[in-house]
Amino acid sequence: MAEFECRLKKYRQLKDLTQEQLAAQVGVRRETIMRLEKAQYNPSLKLAIDISRAVEAPIEEIFIFD
Amino acid sequence: MKKNQVKIWVGCGIFCIAAVLLSVWYAVTFNDSRLVTPMDFGSYSFNTKDLPMILSISLTCVYALALFIHLFISVGKSKKNVAKTNMTRKVNPKLGFLGLLGFLGLAGFWTYSAMGAVFPFVFFLFFGFFGFFYEGKMSGIFMDERFRENVARAQLNTYKITFSITLIALVILCQGRLFGSLEYTLIATIIVLSLTLALGIFLPEYLLYRYDHDDQTEEGGE
Repeated sequence: MAEFECRLKKYRQLKDLTQEQLAAQVGVRRETIMRLEKAQYNPSLKLAIDISRAVEAPIEEIFIFD
Repeated sequence: MKKNQVKIWVGCGIFCIAAVLLSVWYAVTFNDSRLVTPMDFGSYSFNTKDLPMILSISLTCVYALALFIHLFISVGKSKKNVAKTNMTRKVNPKLGFLGLLGFLGLAGFWTYSAMGAVFPFVFFLFFGFFGFFYEGKMSGIFMDERFRENVARAQLNTYKITFSITLIALVILCQGRLFGSLEYTLIATIIVLSLTLALGIFLPEYLLYRYDHDDQTEEGGE
């Protein structure tokens, strides 16, 4: 899996969303959000875009690839 | 299946088994074990004392056929439901105990020595039902993209493992000299293939559960 840094937690907390709420918004399970935040799961482009829209932050600022 | 339906099917199954056991007892006690021990059906002539065995076996066959059709329809409905709701099918983890039926495969050693029949070895395949235990634990959850990726990963790894085992076993067994007898070698082949298929049924469920629950202890909701 490609290594990357994920700043989803920061942006999610800025929007005052729980993992559960964000998961419901983007149509995944809470466990998936949890793994995304730990950068243990590489999301599909669609999920990345959905998350970016949900937290209202640019995609390249949430997922940072070297 | 609803609980009441399950009770009815289990009740009918118990009734069929009881009927077969009773008719076997009757045949052994009063009918010289006709239709119980192997016999030549080419010269078979009907005897009224054969009726209990014929009826109980027919009843059991009808039950098995009806159960098979019912399960086939239920699985079809369940698959449609899964596609519609995007949730995994609901399975009771206790169904994993059906895996114990795999021990029926041991009956093959007896049937082979008694009448040369090797088909009961195929019952080792039922060990695969232990997978219901893990499927039950993962039942009724939403199938998001990570879940689907894990399903594909689990299936791929299972194929790799089972094909490797099959290949290695066949290469060894196809030498034909392992037990000094070709017949024993073929029996070993049936056993190995049945057990490998059982592993192929069990392993995807187990691996999927493991992939989904890796570092579960670190999980914390917010």
